[in-house]
Amino acid sequence: MSWRNELLAVWAVTLRNALMGARNVFFFFELLFWPIVGVLSIGLMSRFLELTEAQASFVLVGTIALSVVNVCQLEVAYAVLLDVWSKSLKHQFLAPIGIRHLTLGSWVVGMVRSLAVFVLLAALGRWAFGFQVLQPGWLALATFLLGCFLTAWVVGVAVCALITLFGNRAEAFAWASVNMVLVLAGIYYPISVLPDSIAVIARAIPLTYFLDAYRAHYGFASEFRSPIATGLALSALYAALAHWAFLAAIHRARRTGLLLKMSE
Amino acid sequence: MVSFLRMLAIDARDVEKTFRSGWPRRRETPALRGVSLRVERGSIFGLLGPNGAGKTTLLSILATLLTPDRGTVMVLGLDVVREAGALRRRLNMASGRPSFLWSLRVAEIVAFYGRLYGLSGAALHRRVDGLIELCELGPYRRIPYSDLSTGLKQRVALAKSLVNDPELLFLDEPTLGLDPDVSVRVRAHIARLRREQGITIVLTTHYMREADELCDEIAFIKSGRILARGTPGELKRQIRLGEVVALRLDPARVPWLADVPGVLRCVEVDGWVECTVDEAEKRLPELLRALYADGVVIRNVQVREPELEEVFVELAK
Repeated sequence: MSWRNELLAVWAVTLRNALMGARNVFFFFELLFWPIVGVLSIGLMSRFLELTEAQASFVLVGTIALSVVNVCQLEVAYAVLLDVWSKSLKHQFLAPIGIRHLTLGSWVVGMVRSLAVFVLLAALGRWAFGFQVLQPGWLALATFLLGCFLTAWVVGVAVCALITLFGNRAEAFAWASVNMVLVLAGIYYPISVLPDSIAVIARAIPLTYFLDAYRAHYGFASEFRSPIATGLALSALYAALAHWAFLAAIHRARRTGLLLKMSE
Repeated sequence: MVSFLRMLAIDARDVEKTFRSGWPRRRETPALRGVSLRVERGSIFGLLGPNGAGKTTLLSILATLLTPDRGTVMVLGLDVVREAGALRRRLNMASGRPSFLWSLRVAEIVAFYGRLYGLSGAALHRRVDGLIELCELGPYRRIPYSDLSTGLKQRVALAKSLVNDPELLFLDEPTLGLDPDVSVRVRAHIARLRREQGITIVLTTHYMREADELCDEIAFIKSGRILARGTPGELKRQIRLGEVVALRLDPARVPWLADVPGVLRCVEVDGWVECTVDEAEKRLPELLRALYADGVVIRNVQVREPELEEVFVELAK
């Protein structure tokens, strides 16, 4: 396949997901409602608990990360979910489309949507609670967002693999999995407060390192030596594993007939 | 031999497929049991059989949507398992139960698949417009898929299936649930595709008239095995159903007709007495003589081959 065709296939998925998102009122709901509720409730709680400005920033960074990763991850999962819901999976996989096109195309839309969520929440955080997302600087912010997007991609592709492996029954993973990952990654607390056995798992999650690096700019001592490099390395490893798992799941679905069953 | 194989669109040998489900007790459902099939390029091939016969399973294997457990399947000279990626660019499929993303409009659906096949810019617009016109979808191009009727959805599926100018087109029950007038138009489209573009078409159908009208060759499949194959005419002869002598008589009922030598059975249909005979050329004069001798007035006589439906019923027993 030529580069032109590769890009066209990615663009086709990007356009498809964007059109679907723009025409679904629930997609707007998930884009705006929960993120705003999250920032307002956490911000107000930090005011009630009389947290210092740095502590409030700590939890607000986590809240914003939760929304950004959640919105972006769901969009990646839509790469498969939209076709499962519309029972068009077999048409999708009859065409010369690879999982790279599906996941990258969806990821592009996910990044745009979650970036919009980020801008909205940053503005809300600044207006309501005086929270400054740009305090760490543009580069730190860009790295933090990249970490969120990469984590979302990995979780989203893993969800796609699970749905392709187990069918509609695995749909709940699309909503539940990211929260599990985020709880372990320490969105509201440093992972040093976790029990040792759980902290081991937390250290295996890329977002843990990106959160740590970003929060260091708000005056919190970094728990890791090279958090960004570690986060990127882990992201690359999991991206490869998730991609392989999705590919294997599709091969299995073609063998077991699940691909057809999900289209009936 | 090599040139003969090049002429084949499909060469499937000893294909087996068993579906396994359930846990912890595995349940095995054999879907195909050693199916072999050859389809010539440029022909329309029909796969007929009762529900659960294995038609869709076979079609899905040929279309790379399902991998066979055993056997070799070459489609357009490519292996459906090892060369599936290259093959997908050259074939396409439309289903009688189509389904696409509910919010996308007709033109957007066709364009989406067009992009996946490498079309862009003016070429994409021309193809989308051409297919929308071909499938008579012009007035509906901006209508969301979920708002379309069953017939229109099927036309969208047909438009999508032609977006890559396929060399081989699979049609899974293409006229299922359509109004008769729409079915006639869809069948005309299918015939035109083969005639004007030389596309090889493999279709599954429950409608015998459709198979009889469209297909150059037909395979009857039941319980995962091909029971008979040939042209519609060959199949009718293979099954030895005889020929039908239809008589309009006065009086309308002649009870002794079924006892005439060579008459296999007699039934009354809409005022006609239809006698299935072993050999019409030999039995027709004998029947007419016997009726004349009995004083029965013969108002009309027709001789015809049995309907494909009768062949199907016979094979499905």
